[in-house]
This record gives sequence, C-alpha cells and structure tokens, in this order.
Amino acid sequence: MIKFTFYFFSIILIFAAMRLITVRNPVHAALFLVLSFFSSASIWLLLHAEFLAIALILVYVGAVMVLFLFVVMMLDINVTMIRDGFARYMPVATLVGVVILVEMGLVIFSHLPEVQPVVMAADVSNTKMLGQVLYTIYVYPFEIAAVILLVAMVAAIALTHIPRTRMKYQTPSHQVNVRRQDRVRLVKMPTEPKD
Amino acid sequence: MPTLNEFLMLGAILFCLSIAGIFLNRKNLIILLMCIELMLLAVNMNFIAFSYFSGDIAGQVFVFFILTVAAAEAAIGLAILVVLFRNRATINVDDLDSMKG
Amino acid sequence: MTLIELNMLMPEIILLSMASLILIIDAFLPDDLRDLTYQLSQGTLIGVGLVIFSTYPQQTELALHGMFVTDPMGATLKLFIVGIVFFTFLYSRSYLKERNFFKGEYFTLGLFATLGMLIMVSAHNMLVIYLGLELLSLSLYAMVAMHRDSQSATEAAMKYFVLGAIASGILLYGMSMLYGMTGTLDLNELSQSLSTLDEYHTALVFGLVFIVVGLAFKLGAVPFHMWVPDVYQGSPTSVTLFISSAPKLAAFAMVMRLLVDGMGHLHSDWQDMLILLSILSMAIGNIVAISQTNIKRMLAYSTISHVGFLLLGILTADKAGYAASMFYVVSYALMTLGGFGMILLLSRAGFEAENISDYKGLNERNSWFAFIMLILMLSMMGVPPMLGFWAKFSVVMQLINSGMLWLAIVAVLFAVIGAFYYLRIIWMMYFEKPEETAPIEDTMDMRVAVSANGLLVLGLGLMPHTLMTICLSAFSLV
Repeated sequence: MIKFTFYFFSIILIFAAMRLITVRNPVHAALFLVLSFFSSASIWLLLHAEFLAIALILVYVGAVMVLFLFVVMMLDINVTMIRDGFARYMPVATLVGVVILVEMGLVIFSHLPEVQPVVMAADVSNTKMLGQVLYTIYVYPFEIAAVILLVAMVAAIALTHIPRTRMKYQTPSHQVNVRRQDRVRLVKMPTEPKD
Repeated sequence: MPTLNEFLMLGAILFCLSIAGIFLNRKNLIILLMCIELMLLAVNMNFIAFSYFSGDIAGQVFVFFILTVAAAEAAIGLAILVVLFRNRATINVDDLDSMKG
Repeated sequence: MTLIELNMLMPEIILLSMASLILIIDAFLPDDLRDLTYQLSQGTLIGVGLVIFSTYPQQTELALHGMFVTDPMGATLKLFIVGIVFFTFLYSRSYLKERNFFKGEYFTLGLFATLGMLIMVSAHNMLVIYLGLELLSLSLYAMVAMHRDSQSATEAAMKYFVLGAIASGILLYGMSMLYGMTGTLDLNELSQSLSTLDEYHTALVFGLVFIVVGLAFKLGAVPFHMWVPDVYQGSPTSVTLFISSAPKLAAFAMVMRLLVDGMGHLHSDWQDMLILLSILSMAIGNIVAISQTNIKRMLAYSTISHVGFLLLGILTADKAGYAASMFYVVSYALMTLGGFGMILLLSRAGFEAENISDYKGLNERNSWFAFIMLILMLSMMGVPPMLGFWAKFSVVMQLINSGMLWLAIVAVLFAVIGAFYYLRIIWMMYFEKPEETAPIEDTMDMRVAVSANGLLVLGLGLMPHTLMTICLSAFSLV
C-alpha cells in the first residue's frame, strides 16, 4: 500500500516536472511547480519528515510561488513570442538529460546496498526532534541563515526600490493650506490699443 | 515500503529534468529560475531519503536550511530579473548577448 | 557554547554586529554624510584584522560541535581577506563617488560578503560551508546588479546568478551523496568513515564528481568558466575588483576544507579531475586572452589561467603543494587587486579605462603609474624576480617533486604563451603614442594605495621567503 502511494505521487511529480520544463506560459509553469511541490510533500510524509513536508507547502507554495506569480504578472511578458526556437534546443536538452539520468541510474542501482530504514524514536514528534537540535547543535548554521535572510532583504529592497523623489504624489495638508495669494496673482497691464 | 534506491532514482530523475529544463528554457528566464527550484527539490528528496534510511536527523536539518536559502535566493533572483526587465524589456536568454569575446 | 568558543568566533561576531549597525546608521544618514558609512566600514575591517591577528591560533581547534575550526591556515587567509577587502573599498570610493553611485549598500553588502568569506574559511561542516558560500554569493549577485541603470551590469548579474545557483545545486547534490554514503556532515567524521570503508566506492566517487564540478564552477575553471568573462566585463569595475580578489582566497579555503580535510582519502580520484581542469584552464585562459581588446575581459581570462595554476599545487596532494598553492592564491589576489586598482585610477566619470588601447602611452602621461603597471604586468606574467614568478616557480617545483614532470612542462609552456598578452600592454604603455590625452584625475589616498600595492608586489617579489614562510607555517612545515 505504501509502495502504491509512493508510485502514485512519484508519477504525478515527474509528470508535473516534465510539464514545468515544456510548458509555454510562465503562469502554467508556476502552477505545475506548485503541483510538484505538493506531490513531493506527500512523498516526504512517507519518509516521516512531517515538519519539512508542511514547511515545503507553507514556505514554497505559500510564499515563494506567490512571489513568482507576482513577478510574472508584474513583468507583462509577451507569451506568444517567447517560445520560438524551442525545437532547436529540444534534442540537446533531451540528450543531456537522458545521458545524465542513465549514468546516475547505473551508479545508484549497481552500487548501493539494500538498507532497511532505521526507525527513529517514536515517542518524540518529528517537529520536536528538529527543534531540539536546531537551537543547540545547529545554532551556528541557524545564525548564518538569519544573516542570509537579512542580506536577501537588503538586496531585494536596494535593487527594486524606487526612491520617493521619482514618484508623483499629493499631500492633502499642503492642498488644504494653500492660500489664495499662492496661486492667483492679479496683474495690472496697460490696455492695448485696438487697431 | 519502497527501497532507498527508488527514492534516489526519483531524486535523480528530478535533477535531470531540471538540467534539461535549463537547456530548454533559453527563451524564458522565469521558467529557468523555476528549474533551479526544481533542482533544489531533487537535492532535498535525496537528503530526506538518506536521513530516513540512516535514522539520522542531520539530513532533515540540512533540508531545512536549503529551504531557507532557496527562498532568499529566489527573492534576489526575482529582484535581479525585475531590474533586468526594466532595463531591457526582455527575459529572453538569447537577447543577453551584449558582451562577446 | 562556552566563553572560549565565543572568543574564537570574535572576528565574525564583531563583523556581523558592525555590519548590522552600519546598515542601520546608513539608512538614516543624509547623502552628504555618506562618507561616514565608508569610514565606519574601513574601521570595522581594521578592527577585525587586529582581532584575528591577536588571536592567531598555534594549532587546530574545533568549536561549536565541530562546525567551526581555527587553524593557522584559516587565520592567515582571513587576515589577507580582510586586508584585501580594505584595499578594495579604498579603491572603490572615488570611483563610486564620481558616478553618483556612492551608496551605503555597496559597503554593507561588501561587509556581509566578507563575513561569508570568513565563515567559509573556518567552516568544518558541509552545512556551514554551503551557508557561508551562499552568504558570499548572494551578496555578490546583489552588488553586481546594484548599478541598476546599466544594461551590462544587470545582464552580468543575471548570468552570474543563474550559473551560481546551478553550481550550488550541483554542489549540494554531491554533498547529499556523500552524506548518504557516510552518514555525516562533519568533515572530521567524513574523513574517518572514508578511511575505513571502501566498499561503496563508485557511489562516493559519483558524489565527489558533483562536488568537484560545483567547486570548478565557483572557481571559474574550464569548462565551467563561461560566466567569468561576462561577469568581469559587465560589472562596475569596483565590483569586478571585489569579485576577483578576496573571494578567490575563500574559494581556495573551501577547496582545501572539502577535498583535503574531508575527502583526503579519495585524493587519487580527485587528482585526475583536477589535472584535467587545470590543463584546460591554463590552455583556454591563456590562449583566449590574447585576442581580447577589453582589459577587464582580458584579466578575466587571465584569472581563469591563474586558477589553473592554483589547482596544480592542490593536486599534488601533499602539504608542500598546498603551501605552494596558498602562496599562489595570495600573490594572485595582491596582483589582481593592483591591476583593477589601476583601471579604477585611470577611469573617471564618463570614461572607463576598459580598452587595452586606453593604456597607450601611459608612460608619457604619468611615468610613475606606468611603472606600477609594469611591475604588476611583469609579476602576472611570471618574470623573475617578481612575485608572480615565485608563485609559478613554487607550484611547478612541487609538481616536479611529486613526480609529475610532464604536467610541470605543460604548465611552463602555457605560462610562456600567457606572457604575450601582458607584454602587449607593456609595449603599448611604453612604445606607443597616447590616444587619450586628458589628465589623470586621481585622489591622494588612491595614489598612495595603488603605489603601496605595487611596491608590496615588488617587495614581496624581492623577498619571497617572507610570504613563503607564512604559507609554510600555515601547514606546520616550518
């Protein structure tokens, strides 16, 4: 039964990944990536990695993919023209992919021993186990990850932020406080002779 | 329960699909960035499978950090993409040829 | 975490706190006080350098559950990294100011990148190596793209980002295979379990291949070098200077930690791969550089060939060879710092001294700068008794000592081919009429720094044993 579940989700995952790399429209690609994240999360559940499965959906589907979709919408790309020459790269890509896959398959299948899973302590939940090591043994990597997120934030703001001065905006308080003499000036002019 | 080999093979297939996708999507940088996400997913699959079959939590911790870094990486990649699009009005890799030699 | 462990981490802690502080201060500074950001950054670097110097370790010590290591090699590399970043900021200041591009982010991201380099140098766990590498790379991608209105800079940033991310993915795949085979992320435990088991050898080598490919991408070794010329040419010169100098020291440390500390027992496997990478890098780097007209692009190919030489010392797989490689990478960083510093010095607002023809008749325009450039070019070329000569000499000697005479001959051959394009610049500086006649605009600090840089290269070339002793003692050979 577990085996069936594994193959069911694997096939969906591989199908989604294949569609992701061949589809025309970036929005569709993003949705297929979401599908592959969902099926991976299901497979991770089989591997007793509950916390990561949930994190994958929350962080990736919830945040990263939304960011991708947001950028797709923002950029307003001309979808029809971005696929010319697709056939040109198809043979190379297929060849490279298949060759690497065959090599990997040979290595994985011929040289790995049959191992039985080692069951981790069942009385502690996966989340608790991760939490216990994350803030003790792995506190140094944890701090570095925090710095990486800070750098990402600084970089994203510095790269895409358009400073205020370039924007046109209204300040209501200034509008309200305008006095008549700021805007209207009566000028006395000599009357011009009619001809 | 499926064997370790089957999980590794799944990771290998995903990895190859992502490499093929990088070759294939020369016209669209956004899908190229998504292929990089797929590549990291393949790596994560490997780590979690190894972690489960050896009963060692370190692999899962590594995946946790890969997820964090990948999110940061996606943010910077998309920021660069937005800046590039403002300058060039294209996300076609083949148009990025102003430097040759 | 004990106080002693915190004390070992002091340089990183100071750098991180100051970088965050500068980030906050910079956000509230008015534009005319922006110099304060620069001064604070430079002060931080000096302080960090002093702390590293005062806590110079005598032997290898581990901290934080074996994730952090201090040893003489690491401390020496860290000192050079901090020093080189200091010079990089100094060179960049007037370049950035002239282009109305003097922003705090350049310095804060530079400090974060430096932190990433320090973390990489003293990482002793695959997870920490990966995180340090990403901290460095993400800061660098952003620094390249920071010149938002420049088409070539954003294009270079995109290429750098995509290829860098692919390289990280490949490196991670290799790490995952190693983790699966040995069940550990720690480099010491990895090395121990590799020494006991040789049954699943093929799968281990499979992981090793991925790791070597990932490292080659990051180092810019042929055939994984395609990003190097475009990124060097497209980035603003101040950022090219940053990318080309200090991170190479960190990359050297990463190679040493992963291949030597972690996988020393597989050296017969990675040796062959490094030989291939090294020969290809020397060949492509030196030959393609000849046809370049842009000096940044030429220096990029020159970097590729230097990476080839750098790998020569590592692939001998003995301590004297590692020391020779370390000597090479430090002297490369000093020379390339001077080279790009000279480009920055000769550039001014609206004019980038990027083309090789811009160096025509430099001797007539300013003979002192021409002399400094002459030193740097002769040194990169490897003419005795320059620093670059001793660097090439020591790696080639180590090759001969470990019985790879044929590779030594190949290396010398490519070094001779490579001499041509440096000679061309020297010829243009001394024997051709200047095309560009505008006076060179320079500031006092810039002039002093470039001169000091050039004289340092000259001095170290005349007294190579000082630097060589430092490198040998880093591997406890003295």
